[in-house]
Amino acid sequence: MTNTYEGMFLVDNDLVRADWAGTKSMVTGLLEKHGGTVRSARRWDERALAYPIRGRRRGTYILTYSELPGDSIEALKRDLEITDGVLRYLILRAEEVPAEELELTAAESSAEFEMPEIPSDDEGYYSPLQNLDEDDMEDDSDDDDDDDDDVSSPPRPRVRRTEELPKSAAPKSSDAPKADAPKADSEEVKS
Amino acid sequence: MKPAARTTKKPSPVAGKDEAIDYKNLELLAKCLSSQGQIVSRRRTGLNSQRQRELKNAMKRARHMALLPFVA
Repeated sequence: MTNTYEGMFLVDNDLVRADWAGTKSMVTGLLEKHGGTVRSARRWDERALAYPIRGRRRGTYILTYSELPGDSIEALKRDLEITDGVLRYLILRAEEVPAEELELTAAESSAEFEMPEIPSDDEGYYSPLQNLDEDDMEDDSDDDDDDDDDVSSPPRPRVRRTEELPKSAAPKSSDAPKADAPKADSEEVKS
Repeated sequence: MKPAARTTKKPSPVAGKDEAIDYKNLELLAKCLSSQGQIVSRRRTGLNSQRQRELKNAMKRARHMALLPFVA
């Protein structure tokens, strides 16, 4: 019984720099070794990590979709754990291979694809959104609280208030134990 | 005397959108992250329990892959 699995692999940039095709085939080779057929495999992103892993601050993500027998997953995971180039992996069941993944994989394996240059390890800083298109960046630039001349956003003095919510909620949570205390007393009375 | 009820509510960043909650959808996940890197509560996201659970799982997957921070 085979299922479709989505696999995301975080691989060492040093390997990718040395040999991108080889790194990709290392990952797909592992999937095939465990009885899988790789439907799509592509470079998802290259970005700064949210926290350093084995001393690395940047890494390349490979996104794959493959058909794998369900009972081979454990062995595959064990194999991934002892593979040095793979810093992190995530294997999930998927209903089907998204059509756009097949297209993107085809685009990447065509001759015109050029691997973008990888920045050095200490370059750039982490933020959840990286490598955005310039259009997106423009959209985000007006998203702040200051008095820009963007008409779309109404004045929002209340935003700051809601940021303080957790503090004002704190006394409530300290009330809760008090409410519990009488109960505990009454139980003692019963006993 | 009763304290005044909170009349204004900050609009939810994600509720009411059909967008799939997926660990790769960082634009959406980043909106549900507090400044400390915590997952924002249902009260703030406005999601129902199923969608909030999807959000939680997606966040934890993204953290594992170093896409999102555990602590900002």
